[in-house]
Formats: sequence, C-alpha cells, structure tokens
Amino acid sequence: MSAFRHYFLLFVGAFIVQNIVFIRFIGLCPFFGVSTQVETSIGMSLAVTFVMTLASAASWIVWNYALVPLGVGEFLYIPVFILVIASLVQFVEMFIRKVSPPLYKAMGIYLPLITTNCAVLATATEVSKPGFLKLNMPYGYSFIEGVVYSVSVAMGFGLAIVIMAAIRDRMKVSPVPEWLKGYPIVFIVAALASLAFMGFAGLFGM
Amino acid sequence: MIRKLWSELVKGLTLENPLMVLMIGLCSALAVSTRAENTIFMGLAATFVLVSSNFIISLIKKVTPNEIRIPIFIVVIASFVTIVDLVLRAYFPVVYSRLGVWIPLIVVNCIILGRAEAFASKRGVLESIADGLGMGLGYIWILFTMGFVRELLGTGKIVFFDRTILSFGPSFEPPVIFILFPGAFLTFGLLMAFVNFVNRRIKK
Repeated sequence: MSAFRHYFLLFVGAFIVQNIVFIRFIGLCPFFGVSTQVETSIGMSLAVTFVMTLASAASWIVWNYALVPLGVGEFLYIPVFILVIASLVQFVEMFIRKVSPPLYKAMGIYLPLITTNCAVLATATEVSKPGFLKLNMPYGYSFIEGVVYSVSVAMGFGLAIVIMAAIRDRMKVSPVPEWLKGYPIVFIVAALASLAFMGFAGLFGM
Repeated sequence: MIRKLWSELVKGLTLENPLMVLMIGLCSALAVSTRAENTIFMGLAATFVLVSSNFIISLIKKVTPNEIRIPIFIVVIASFVTIVDLVLRAYFPVVYSRLGVWIPLIVVNCIILGRAEAFASKRGVLESIADGLGMGLGYIWILFTMGFVRELLGTGKIVFFDRTILSFGPSFEPPVIFILFPGAFLTFGLLMAFVNFVNRRIKK
C-alpha cells in the first residue's frame, strides 16, 4: 500500500502540483506555438509523452551504466543527453513511419520539434542526474520511479496544452481589445491558468 | 559593409526581436526574470553561447553535410553551454544556484538553434557574429525590462549585488504576485501588448 501511495504522490506532484508548464515554465515554446486547436494539441501531447518517457529511460541507463562508471558525467551530461534525445527522436520517427503510417501521419510533424523541446531534456536530466533540480528530491530516482515521473510530467504538459487550446478556441469569437489581440491575451490567459494551478500547492502536504 | 553589419545587429533588438516578435526562447525568459540581477547573468550566458556558436557554425558551413547538420549544430552548442555551465559553477556559485536548470537548458533554447539553422549556416562569419550579438542583446533588453518590473513591483525594491539601488520605501505594500509564476505570464503579456501598441503607432 505504501508503494502505491509513493507512486501516487509522485504522479500527482509531477502532474498538477509542479505542473511543468504553469508552475515551472518549461516547454513554453511548443505550448504557445501548438495550442491553437484541441486536436493538434492532443497529437502533440501524445508525441511528447512517448518521446519523454523513452528519453528519460534511455538517459537513466546511459547515466547510471556509462557516465557514472567512467566518471565523466559532470561535464559530459549536456551533450550526451541531447544526443540521446536527438537520435531517439530520429529513431522513433523512422520506426513509426515503418510500423504505423496513420500514427506517423498524426504525429509526424511534431516529432522533429520535440528535439528542441526543453521539457524533454529537463525531465531526462532530472530523472537521471541526482540533485539536478532542487524542487524535487536531492537523491536520484530508481528506474521505475523515473519512468512514472516522466509519464506524469508529460501528462501535465498535455493537460496544460489541451486546456489552453480549448480556451483559445473559445476566444476566437470573443471581443478582445485591439491592442491585446494575438499573443498578449494568450499570455494573460496563461497567467490566470497559472494562478489557478498555484492553488494546488500544498496538496497532500506537498 | 559596416552598414550591413549594423542592420543585422539592430534587427535583433527591434523588428526581429527573438522574444517579442519571433516568440522563441520564452521559457528561460519567464523563469529567470524574478530578479533584475539574474537576468543580466542569464542574458550574458545566452549571448556568449549565441555569438560563439554562430561564429563556429558559419566557419564550418562548407564542410557540414546537409543531412546531419542538426546533430552537428547541437554538439557545437552543447560544448559552449558546458563551458558556461562549468565557468559559472566555479566562479559564481551563488548565481549558478539561482539560475539552476536554466544554464544547461540553454542548449535547447530555440533562439540559438534557430539562428544557427536560419542564419549562421547560410551567411558569412562577420554577419553571423553581428546577428548573434544583436539577437543576444535583444534577448537581454526584454529580459532586463521584465526582471526590473517584476522585482520592483513584487518586492518593492531593486537589489543589485546586495545593494538596494531603488526602493518604494517601507509604506509600499508589494503585490507579491509579480514575482510568483502568474506574474511572469502577466508581465510578459502586458509588455508585448505595449510593444504591439507602439509598433502600430509607428506604422500609422
């Protein structure tokens, strides 16, 4: 039971309490760029979930079985992790194109963008390198914890982007002042959403 | 020649400002602008990486195979980010601990890869340096404005290296929301609306 509780808290913490977009400001470029329609934002969040989980798992393995034994982690982690992510994205793209053309068509255009999505690099590093982010635990994650954590972070990203897309859909027909049209009003909506998410702070004593 | 370089430099500050117009590199801008002091360090770090990677990438553009150019760019950028990471950690540990994850994340800052792909991989060395410098300065001035507004409103004073240089005095009750998360979005949105407003007036 306590193991379940542990993973549940990990999930809730990464999903809403420390929401990656509204509370931690990571992954904002795709968040503002893609959240124009609900449909595309769902595709984007699925692609991010997929890549983020794989990338975190791969970086965890590389960190624990290659970088730490060789003693080069401290100064090589940035290039190594970004290369892991870039090659993983390439690989996933080729794999999906071969195995499932409809799925490739659905999320194909988003995949290359994910390489430069800072959410993926941040989560992969956070899961692998102990003490990378003070907000969370100072000790490293176990492999299972890392996978659960990155799925929850990715779902938090998906939640944020879908909420935003739905609001922006409604906003197309609402009277926005001339000087706020376009991105400024989107930022103000994001401010309100972020204010709402701050209300989750302290949930379950976190 | 000089005029051309100057126009490459100036466009980053105004008409092609990375944050306000191109809408790239937002994450770090919103996250580190809680204090004016932080924004200077973050801006300088990003500008250093931007100028050096633009320089190297424009030097090697002839020998870079087109198919694998993105991984090559990323390795160049990652090397400079590692330099900044280690230098800051060694000489400015306090600043490093405040900027935290944002220094390693310069690697995936879209401004840098974007300029490498759109500009430095096609143009000459001097132009690329001017472009990098302009984009970096454009990033710094928006960042500093945001940091200044947020710190002044959110805490009621501006502190630079432990010295208070500007203060509303003790009777001012600061709205803390400005240094919290929603304040970042709000300040950025209003700043952007202001820039739009001014641009529209200029065009008229």
